[in-house]
Amino acid sequence: MNRVSLARSSIARLALLYTLVLAASMVAVLGTAYVLTSRIIERGTEQLIGAEAQGLAEDFQKNDLDSFVNLIVQRADDPWVRGGVYELRGPSGDFLAGNVVAMPDAKKSSNGWIEFEVTTSRHDENIGRRIRAKITDLSNGFHLLVGRDVQDRQTFRHVMLQSLGWAIAATLVFGLIGGFWLSRRISRTAAAISANAARIASGAPGERLPTTGSGDEIDGLIGRFNELLERVDTLTATLRAVIDSTAHDLRGHLNRIRGAAQDTARLLTTEAQTQAQTQVLTEIDRLGATLQGLLRIALAESGTAPLESVDFSSVVQDLYELYEPTAPGRLSASIAPHLLVRGHRQLLAQAVANLIDNALKYGLDQPVQLQLTQVDQQARLEVHDGGPGIPEESRELALHRFRRLPGASGLPGSGLGLSLVAAVARLHQAELRFADNDPGLTVILNIPLQQETTAAPEPGH
Amino acid sequence: MKILLVEDDRRAAEYLARGLTDLGHVITHAYDGEAGLTLAMAGGFDAIVLDRMLPKLDGLEIVKRLRADGASVPVLILSALDEVDERIQGLRAGGDDYLTKPYHLEELTARLEALARRHGEVAPSSRVVIADLELDTRNRRVSRAGRKIELTAREFQLLEFLMRHAHQVVTRTMILEGVWDYHFDPKTNVIDVHISRLRQAIDKGFEKPLLHTVRGAGYTISEDP
Repeated sequence: MNRVSLARSSIARLALLYTLVLAASMVAVLGTAYVLTSRIIERGTEQLIGAEAQGLAEDFQKNDLDSFVNLIVQRADDPWVRGGVYELRGPSGDFLAGNVVAMPDAKKSSNGWIEFEVTTSRHDENIGRRIRAKITDLSNGFHLLVGRDVQDRQTFRHVMLQSLGWAIAATLVFGLIGGFWLSRRISRTAAAISANAARIASGAPGERLPTTGSGDEIDGLIGRFNELLERVDTLTATLRAVIDSTAHDLRGHLNRIRGAAQDTARLLTTEAQTQAQTQVLTEIDRLGATLQGLLRIALAESGTAPLESVDFSSVVQDLYELYEPTAPGRLSASIAPHLLVRGHRQLLAQAVANLIDNALKYGLDQPVQLQLTQVDQQARLEVHDGGPGIPEESRELALHRFRRLPGASGLPGSGLGLSLVAAVARLHQAELRFADNDPGLTVILNIPLQQETTAAPEPGH
Repeated sequence: MKILLVEDDRRAAEYLARGLTDLGHVITHAYDGEAGLTLAMAGGFDAIVLDRMLPKLDGLEIVKRLRADGASVPVLILSALDEVDERIQGLRAGGDDYLTKPYHLEELTARLEALARRHGEVAPSSRVVIADLELDTRNRRVSRAGRKIELTAREFQLLEFLMRHAHQVVTRTMILEGVWDYHFDPKTNVIDVHISRLRQAIDKGFEKPLLHTVRGAGYTISEDP
């Protein structure tokens, strides 16, 4: 079962990306709202200040200085109720009237706007307020400052920035939680599908992936997948039927031929005739063996051979014991016990027998060693011989049907032995490869061990 | 032996019937499943040779019905399908042995005789004796003329198999199936080598050999060759 880690899950990446995009759009929306709103507020304040400053400038023109000073004093009287800030200074910069202590040193911009902080004490409390003001040059060197408390705007900006921060944080938190949940859910479903698919692939024909019943895209996908399985099953069944009918037909013919050949015994009178009959029977048997080999390969490759729990260690041990007396002192074995695989005992035995037979046959009377070990989650069978080996470039060819490599021509064999091993390896989802034994050949067969638990998790829907 | 042969391939059946008749058996022939079942149900046969695929009624179905009816007559299933998994189905259905076409007449008769003999037997005894050779499965002891013989576990199994089929021919494939439980052609002379090791153990140093080779068929254990 291949459980994809969360970091590698495409769903998790997608959820993260989605969260980031959501956060970015949150910044864009709230940022724009902030900029536009604060611009409107600012413009309103400026218009208010501008209008008042202009009115006062006109009053300065119309009235004498004393009454203008009075006017300013009046307006400045209760600044925090109306929020106005005023200051009038004479040509020499001397303070004439107003509610600001001194004309601030703040640099004024070219059109006379300044912004500054004042600290006022109110109810025995020092409060810092932010003021935006316009300094108007009156005639005769008088300067008038008219301003407004813009602390509210400042507060608004602060609140706005704060809420923007919270919004982003909330988006990230909920987005990540949601993304994690979503990817967990989808990857769990995917893992369940993948586990079921693996189980079906490793020999559970006729089984289908369970749908969740929600009718969503995943169900749709499972449906398509099941249609494919249906198709594979049909093809496999057809293949099996073809193999069976071919087997039935050819074996039937061969059986009649053998029966007829054997039946001729009653007609034979001379030694030469008997010899001829024996030869015919031998050839028929050879043909039968070849047919048997081909059909076994076809059977293994059709994937229809039923698999069960097999103690591969005991199979290798049996075969070692079976072959050991045929080459006394040549065959040795080291076999790790109790390696269980999901397999076909007879086909596995035949494959191991073929490997041992080959090693003894082509191993130039040198020792042959069988080694069965557990490597990770696999049973690894190695058959080492001391023969000429198989050159790198011929190794692929050696697995082909009826292919006999140079040097094999003088020895009995059908050229099907290794192709059967290859077919059996495929049936067991095993890896078959050759390596150098220096000198000689090592054939390595890696069969996946049977999983302890085969139960697939339910789709997390 | 009275043998019922249920086989739709008339020519193959004819050769087989002739071969079996030559060996002294009496053959009754049915060409389809229904006729085969009717004859089998009527009884009176020592063994049935049954083709796996038959017109009208499948071979496996015939065995199932026979067994359901309580008939214990030994049934040898003949099949042109590969035995690797068909065999299991055949035995599960109630067949006693399974043979793939093309078969050797010697193989078929050896198996038939083994089946018929086993059928007549009461519960197998734990002690088997052939001449002065004794085998006891309870304490796993083998002795000849009172002299203890040391055997490996596999040699013991092989000897037990041969002694339980004493005076019958056992073929190499029967030995591979019966002793090792494998059903493939070992190609080389593996069985012969095991037999010769066993022969060393039980016959060497004794005047009268008990383990004999039957040319073209297999082996037999018997006081007379």
